[in-house]
Amino acid sequence: MALLEIDDIHVFYDKIEALKGVSIAVDEKQIVTLVGANGAGKTTTLRAISGILHPRAGEIRLGGESLADLPPHEIAGMGVVQVPEGRRIFARLTVDENLQMGAFSRNDRRAIAEDKERMLALFPRLKERLKQVAGTLSGGEQQMVATARALMARPRILLMDEPSMGLSPVMVEHVFETIRAINQQGVTILLVEQNALMALGIADFGYVMESGRIVLTGRGQDLLEDENVQRAYLG
Amino acid sequence: MMAGAAARRVAGSRRAPPSPLQRAAVTGLVFGILGLYLAIVGILAMIHGRAIIVGVLTLGQATLVAIGLGTGAMIVRGDGEHGAWSWSTLLRSLFAGAIAGGVLALLVVAMDALDLRAIFIALSPALFEMLTFDLGLAGGVLVLIGGSAALAALGALLTLGPRAFRRHVLIGCIAVIFFGVFQELIQIMMQYGDIIGAVRETIYTWEGLTPEGAILIFVIATAISLLAARLRGGERSDAETPPAQRRNARIAKAAVAVLLLVLFPLLAGSYIGQVMMLVGLYILMGMGLNLEVGLAGLLDLGFVAFFAVGAYTTALLTADSPHALAAFTAIPSLSYWEAMPIAVLVSVIVGVLFGIPVLGVRGDYLAVATMGLGEIVRVIVQSDAAAPLLAGAQGILQIPKPWLGNIELSDPVDLFYLTLACAAVAAYCAWRLENSRLGRAWMAVRDDEDVAQALGINLVKVKLLAYGLGAAFAGLAGSIFAVMLTSIYPSSFQLLVSINVLALIIVGGMAACPA
Ligand SMILES: Nc1ncnc2c1ncn2[C@@H]1O[C@H](COP(=O)(O)OP(=O)(O)OP(=O)(O)O)[C@@H](O)[C@H]1O
Ligand SMILES: [Mg+2]
Repeated sequence: MALLEIDDIHVFYDKIEALKGVSIAVDEKQIVTLVGANGAGKTTTLRAISGILHPRAGEIRLGGESLADLPPHEIAGMGVVQVPEGRRIFARLTVDENLQMGAFSRNDRRAIAEDKERMLALFPRLKERLKQVAGTLSGGEQQMVATARALMARPRILLMDEPSMGLSPVMVEHVFETIRAINQQGVTILLVEQNALMALGIADFGYVMESGRIVLTGRGQDLLEDENVQRAYLG
Repeated sequence: MMAGAAARRVAGSRRAPPSPLQRAAVTGLVFGILGLYLAIVGILAMIHGRAIIVGVLTLGQATLVAIGLGTGAMIVRGDGEHGAWSWSTLLRSLFAGAIAGGVLALLVVAMDALDLRAIFIALSPALFEMLTFDLGLAGGVLVLIGGSAALAALGALLTLGPRAFRRHVLIGCIAVIFFGVFQELIQIMMQYGDIIGAVRETIYTWEGLTPEGAILIFVIATAISLLAARLRGGERSDAETPPAQRRNARIAKAAVAVLLLVLFPLLAGSYIGQVMMLVGLYILMGMGLNLEVGLAGLLDLGFVAFFAVGAYTTALLTADSPHALAAFTAIPSLSYWEAMPIAVLVSVIVGVLFGIPVLGVRGDYLAVATMGLGEIVRVIVQSDAAAPLLAGAQGILQIPKPWLGNIELSDPVDLFYLTLACAAVAAYCAWRLENSRLGRAWMAVRDDEDVAQALGINLVKVKLLAYGLGAAFAGLAGSIFAVMLTSIYPSSFQLLVSINVLALIIVGGMAACPA
């Protein structure tokens, strides 16, 4: 049984059906990526997992337990944590406070302090900026804060929404290296990306989405070599 | 390539930036509407009665001037870092100023043509005279538009001028306005002593500053400001002083301020004691509202309701009147010290109840919703249905003063100390809250509700806590207010109080507790 199972969900914005029966499975310790064009419904999928949107039909399960009707903060408490699209750090809090917010549902002070040290080892750039107001960081640094903040929650599964968006090629490299490193430390990751080339390159498994539907699935490498994918996403 | 696409997408999702001219028009409109608003709610006419410089300038006119100058300043600000002098800036300022004046001119024309007074009671003939500068309709409209345009240009020039110069002029102006607005207080303080008395007579009449006085104050304040700048220029700038030293300096300043606060009313007598006490109450409420607005980002215009609840609870529990609970239930009449915590508690409960219906509401709608709820509380209190219990518009009288041991705290100065003590305790609590887990959760919700939620914050819980704790501060203030006046009426709890408190914290800097 997969850690996260999305089973034929339909999600609506009022009358617009944004997801028309989407099924995705993420196994423990895997990187699974969801790629697709603008407006395909990738963010919508992640918002449904986090409980911000509720599917009208279908079910989402974590470790076999249904997440239906749970409020977002309880889903977060179960270990499903997002690095949202466009970073969305708490702009007026300091880097340090942002990290602390990530550990909001935890009470083990000592372990939180240790995790913070681990984050600073993972992102040394944040070390000298701990007291800086997060809104004044560069885009790449904000992405680091958003990622570290999510990891501070010790997620069972990390949902990342376009972490490479708007970053320079060097930063993009760095982001994907970090994702791989995080995964090697044992964190399960569902990665949403526009950058299909890079995403499929590091993913164990990939899903291709088009206007609210999954149109292709397969191992990351296989999809990279797939003719249709190459034509549509890799130019 | 992908990154480029993403960037384009972000840009595409925003509207194209407006042209400079459009922006000038919008700025002018905003300032004009600000003036319009002040006129319609009656503030303009009210403060027009207040002279700053006798026969020359009233507070109302000063406000109009400020609107004009502000328009120009805003145009320059809008240009950003590289705002520099150009004819275009001047033209745009003139244009924006004319629009701001034009909005008010429209009001004047409308007032002349229609009987707007039936709808907006504040649009009185007196306001008409003020806005037309006694020049009749045509003259007034011309002066409004032309003057506003000229002022905006001046505002733009001043903003572009050398920073040092602007600062000193500003300080001079502020000093004049300060001495003008607080003339009663200052005059009372200047009553004693021959020399001081003589000075007083030169700068003041009993209605406001004399023109000579205004000039004198302007010159002195500007000179002091210049001198201070010169002296400071010799020292190291603030940023370079070591943090420890800076902290010490700050503590010393705070200590002096506290000492002044403690001693001042004692020396100044009971009238000023009363004024300071009102200020203290506003500060208490400000701290409470700051929890809601500054930390949790929940705009609340119904805040006065909690103040009213605190006051009424105290009154009902302690008053020696037929409306007090003790008069018709078995509950004994309580002392103030017993009633105060109950008043705070009731306020918290009302605060939470108040929070529930507006939980899902965001942003601007929240302001309207809370304003409505606040007014509902007042209307209920005033209504006939609740009159047997809450005494309706007559209010509740004969609320006893608190006793400390066997001393009755009846003098405003004594009550001021009570306020000060409460404010100190409250400030400590607010400070602790701000640096707590809950405080951080509030700030996270303020910055991004969805993400905060997705990180495990229970939105419902933290929002209701913000309303509840904010209400506690207001309830405490209300409770003191009740014993200060010894009688309370529903009309004391106008919407305006909420707005005043809000203005206080905006001026004081959102979320900055020491303010
Ligand atoms: N709040 C909303 N209200 C109405 N429709 C929405 C809303 N958010 C998204 N949609 C619509 O739902 C569809 C899917 O949007 P979604 O944000 O999930 O796309 P996406 O795959 O994440 O795209 P992108 O790569 O641009 O982020 C789009 O057609 C979009 O217009
Ligand atoms: Mg998206």
